[in-house]
Amino acid sequence: MLAIEYFEVECPEPLGAAYYKQITNDVLLDHNLLRVINKLHIFIDPKIPIFTAVGTLKKITTIVRVRDFANVNPLGDKITLVISDETYLAPMLKIFWQKYGKDRVEQPDRFTVILYNIEVDAREIEDLVVADPSESLFKDLIYAFRLIAPEGFRVRSEKFSKERFSFVASEDTLIEDLNPLIREKFALMGEKP
Amino acid sequence: MTLVPVTYKGGIYQHDIIIDFIEDLGGYIVQKHIIAAEVVLQCFVPREDIELISRIAKPLFGEVKDSPLVGTEIAVVSMSLEIHHLPHPSCDFAEYARRIGAKTNMVSPARGPGKRISQLSDEERDVINEHDIAVLAFGNFESCIEYKWPALRRGIDVPIIVMGGPDTETLRRIIHPAADGYVGNVGRFMRRGKTEEEIGILDEIVAEVTRVIEKKREEIAKDPLSVSPARLMDLIREHVPAILDVTSPTPLTVQMEGLRVKLPYDTFARDLRRIEIEDGITLNDVAKVIPSRMRDYILIKILPFSETNTVV
Repeated sequence: MLAIEYFEVECPEPLGAAYYKQITNDVLLDHNLLRVINKLHIFIDPKIPIFTAVGTLKKITTIVRVRDFANVNPLGDKITLVISDETYLAPMLKIFWQKYGKDRVEQPDRFTVILYNIEVDAREIEDLVVADPSESLFKDLIYAFRLIAPEGFRVRSEKFSKERFSFVASEDTLIEDLNPLIREKFALMGEKP
Repeated sequence: MTLVPVTYKGGIYQHDIIIDFIEDLGGYIVQKHIIAAEVVLQCFVPREDIELISRIAKPLFGEVKDSPLVGTEIAVVSMSLEIHHLPHPSCDFAEYARRIGAKTNMVSPARGPGKRISQLSDEERDVINEHDIAVLAFGNFESCIEYKWPALRRGIDVPIIVMGGPDTETLRRIIHPAADGYVGNVGRFMRRGKTEEEIGILDEIVAEVTRVIEKKREEIAKDPLSVSPARLMDLIREHVPAILDVTSPTPLTVQMEGLRVKLPYDTFARDLRRIEIEDGITLNDVAKVIPSRMRDYILIKILPFSETNTVV
């Protein structure tokens, strides 16, 4: 857990806390989310029962452009793209089809895309934005915390913003005003909600 | 003649000699797996002949090992089939027990997870009761386990082994009424158990299951069954050829006190009841043929000697 500045699991049962620390680590690692979380405090009390996760997020600016995964080689009236990572191939093709039309885009094999008769500079193609992984970040985070929380805790209240998040879950109806609890847990990390 | 459960592992070359030999000695093959060039036979053989089989198998590079879980059907009750509880640790254990001869089924209550909201329906309870033993895989918190245990064990009359996050001593302390076995330090975790310590825990579970199974075998031995389940299995194969066309991995599942026959009840129950075992004694005289709650399978419950006054 080197990537996270602060990481604590608080629970009246010490052994339970240790297990949940391991579960949190495994889930965040599996979903590649350790790189986005800066501080994380989890509070579980099975007696109430309640599960609370509060934390702060790192600023991430990882917009994916064509140049990040392809080599663009102009030659005469065609531009050949050599793909090194297929992850973003499908969204890239979609953008090309929309922009230039299907008759000008050809994909002879998995790792090659050829554009014909396009009057655009190669640099411009390199700079095309293909995807923004931060768009699905909140969805991924909520999914990960649903996995970490005990499964029976299906009544949830979650708040995610660009810098902070809170996730509260229980199997009973949640108390109406969760703010004092969330504030208290943020204070333990030296943060304000 | 006492039949004991063993596993034979050897090369595929001339393995039919071993099969014929075991059958000639009066033993039964429960399951046969052919994996690449290796054959694994799970079988019941007469105790005094194990040495002899080992000697015959030696030139074929085969080995015979004791495996007390052969001929048992174990229900591994996971609190749900969601990713929270599967595949670890329930599948880890289910798979581990399969390797040493048990037939394990995963059973999961529709509303198993949670503390107050956890419950078991009558169908789930009946399915668990069709097994020889149930292993309940609980989560990590002792207060949850303590709270939900009475609701989940209600109506289950097969021996139960409790698996949970707290250590074994804590489990023993919090579980009321008592279970038949306890294995601690194996609650919910979300990665594959690979370390020596984690695999050691699987061995601990197997040891606890074996202890409870042996105890049940001793109980059965006090009032022996009218016919051996393995013998019934052979008879069914002989008299109901439809079973040979069933594609499920174990069309006939041997249990400690009966058999699960994976054929539809309505069509085949009558044929099964009429099977003659010996000297005019039919299967119906020594066993109850009832519909299983698992799909439309048939369950055969063999009656003890005290009820039938016959042993065949």
